[in-house]
Amino acid sequence: MFKDGIGESSEFSGFHPWVNLIYYILAIGITMFSLSPWFLAATFVLSWTYSVLLKGRGTVKLNLIFSFWTLVLMAVINVFFTHEGVTVLFYLNDNAITMEAFIFGLSAAVMLVSVIIWFVSFNVVMSADKLIFIFGRAAPVLGLTLSMIFRYVPLLKERFAEIRMGQACLTGNQKKSRIARIRQFGKELSILVSWSLESSIESADSMEARGYGLRGRTSFHLYRFTKRDLLLLLVMCGLGAVVITGAVMGKTTVWFYPEYVLRRFDLMTGLTLGAYVLLLALPILIDISGEVRWKRSGLAM
Amino acid sequence: METIRFGNVTFSYPLSDSPALDRVTFEVHPSEFIVVCGKSGCGKTTLLRHMKKNLIPYGRMEGSVTYGSTEVSALDDRRNASEIGFVQQNPDNQIVTDKVWHELAFGLESLGLDNRTIKRRVAEMASYFGIQAWFRRDVSQLSGGQKQLLNLASIMAMQPKLLVLDEPTSQLDPIAASEFLQTIYKINRDLGTTVILSEHRLEEAFTMADKVLVMDRGRIIAYDDPRRIGRLMSGNGDNSRHPMFYGLPSVTRIFYSAGGEGESPLTIREGRLWIDEEMRRTGKEPGKGIPLWQKGTGKEEKPRKIKDPAIHMENIWYRYDRNSQDVLRGLTMDVEKGQLFCILGGNGVGKSTTLKAIAGIVKPQRGKIEVNGRLAMLPQNPQALFTEVCVEDELLEVLHGEKGTDREKVEKVVDMLRLMEIEHLRKAHPYDLSGGEQQRLALGKVLLADPEVILLDEATKGLDPFFKITLAKVLKKLTDAGRTLFMVSHDIEFCAEYGDCCAMFFDGGIVSAGPPKEFFPGNNFYTTTANRMARDYFPEAVTWEEVAKCVGDSI
Repeated sequence: MFKDGIGESSEFSGFHPWVNLIYYILAIGITMFSLSPWFLAATFVLSWTYSVLLKGRGTVKLNLIFSFWTLVLMAVINVFFTHEGVTVLFYLNDNAITMEAFIFGLSAAVMLVSVIIWFVSFNVVMSADKLIFIFGRAAPVLGLTLSMIFRYVPLLKERFAEIRMGQACLTGNQKKSRIARIRQFGKELSILVSWSLESSIESADSMEARGYGLRGRTSFHLYRFTKRDLLLLLVMCGLGAVVITGAVMGKTTVWFYPEYVLRRFDLMTGLTLGAYVLLLALPILIDISGEVRWKRSGLAM
Repeated sequence: METIRFGNVTFSYPLSDSPALDRVTFEVHPSEFIVVCGKSGCGKTTLLRHMKKNLIPYGRMEGSVTYGSTEVSALDDRRNASEIGFVQQNPDNQIVTDKVWHELAFGLESLGLDNRTIKRRVAEMASYFGIQAWFRRDVSQLSGGQKQLLNLASIMAMQPKLLVLDEPTSQLDPIAASEFLQTIYKINRDLGTTVILSEHRLEEAFTMADKVLVMDRGRIIAYDDPRRIGRLMSGNGDNSRHPMFYGLPSVTRIFYSAGGEGESPLTIREGRLWIDEEMRRTGKEPGKGIPLWQKGTGKEEKPRKIKDPAIHMENIWYRYDRNSQDVLRGLTMDVEKGQLFCILGGNGVGKSTTLKAIAGIVKPQRGKIEVNGRLAMLPQNPQALFTEVCVEDELLEVLHGEKGTDREKVEKVVDMLRLMEIEHLRKAHPYDLSGGEQQRLALGKVLLADPEVILLDEATKGLDPFFKITLAKVLKKLTDAGRTLFMVSHDIEFCAEYGDCCAMFFDGGIVSAGPPKEFFPGNNFYTTTANRMARDYFPEAVTWEEVAKCVGDSI
């Protein structure tokens, strides 16, 4: 289960695209506005957990490298360019290197890394189909355009491979200078363009023959909004409301300059943090319970 | 009332002297199955395109085309979209979305139906066409046959009353083509949809048609029952035959060439019964074949030793990656110089991989390949080679880096144009040529590199019978000049008639090989139509001409 990740077959992916989308809007949106260490820690840990759960062990290394360098770079760069703050660590060429600038750089970096790692799992959950569906709701043409792009990318790749082979057969596989190779590549690209333009006339005919351009086009999809979608949506909205209230009350913010001030951890902060953690962990809980159910049904057989 | 009706239609393209359609008059009744045939460029496509409003070609037109009681050009857009379905040649170019289910729904989305209705119609279509197993797949994962079936299903989802198909099987292999035609036949029988189909592979289409429409230079020269078409085309003897006669199914050709009278048989079964009857009349006994229960000699057939082969392959093993199955399994083969060597076999047995291995595009894990002489390969899609704006430049481009004066180069190009019989097209754009002409231009381009061994990948795909004859002549000229041709093909009839050596490829190796005269009589299923029809009496006759002669002589 953890080797290759659950992937697209995850239980949470099976929910309606709107539910998936709203989850990510909440998760990423709130992450972007909270720099308090509690909240940063929560979003950082959970984004990591979910991406590894979906994509497997292979993604750990990639995430690590990426997180490490972003953290180092941002913390260091901020220290060198911002000299505000009261706690001076040392001077470099008469410039104050402050503790506050370092903490701000670090917090901002953690926030950025979390957002980007949220997108790792977003890519798995929000498959092309779901994006097409969501854009298709906005305007049918938009959804169709997206769908056509996903159709033509593999087609062009295939065609290019064929052209490459044809040209290789014509010219033989002799070694060539770099300029000759670039020329050859240009030629292959030009063949691809003229071939594709030519065939797009037929595609246009085929679209028009099937009534494309008539007024009132709809956008077909295979999704159904069921009771469990509604339930999850309500839970998410409830938790989201709590977190947003907390954020409005200033429970998720901190002050960096001139001095780093962390507010007292009161009841409301605890409540907001609890709701936030639960909200972010929802897909993880859903996916793990889904996996467990699969294991059980496997044993029962 | 008729479904579609052409009233004295004359049509010419801009800047063209001769009309593409010349006083065409005919009508099609509801639920009829019409097959349109004729040489490439005879006006078939132009005729079919006049039946669909948005596809009517641009040019000067006289006369009227009516659908029901309205002019096609004045049809309501919604009615045009849903009631008249049009399937084109190329399976890939007609698909526009990324998923099978989305493609099925495309037309219904255009019509503005709601989700529930679309779902129901799509479900119906998927079940009828057997698409449910690949309903959620990406279209890029489908085979050519599946793609074309999807195009058809997507159109049928709109419940058309008239289905027009312009050479829908020309890009498919024979098995997929046959399946596709059967599906159309089923639609015609089950739903009563009127079908108008243009085809080159008439063997099967003839047995389905209610009427056959034969065109020549923009005119209708025959519109009749398929059993009577042969009579009209054969004239009175060999010299007065219409060229279209050579495009008819083998059974029909044999019947009339052997002197049959009246209505011709259409299927192999009918052909066999006819020969049986004729032979009984003349008192000839069926030959004694080797019964199945008799054992073979038991000795492994040793491939004949060929001195100085053009291509020598020994014990080739190849697989695409570590964990996949072997595609080539100990392939051993020698190809003699100056021959047209044909490899036959089904899909996915490793034929194309063999070509790639010879061309050096894939490196076998084990074994030895030797090619004597310069090598070139003609890809399946000639478009993969075209870079220039006219035929002449296209050929000249190959000589770009060569030594020699411009004059010599131009001379070479002119010679090549003559050899390929495309001199009249020297100023045309490569994309404006027909499939057969493109094929020959590509071959010309390959030949200018002066190869001694040429690999051909499905060179006859999508060609009409007449272009095949021209191509065969060109190939013969090449082998006479000492070049070796190695062709991979699905086209049994072509290989039987023109190949010097045929081989059956199966499971990563060659199962049997030999000249057509020895190769085909030894097969039971994998042989020409003509041979299957007459094998009880004349097992060694392979091509239709041989069978026609044998039968004709003994009647």
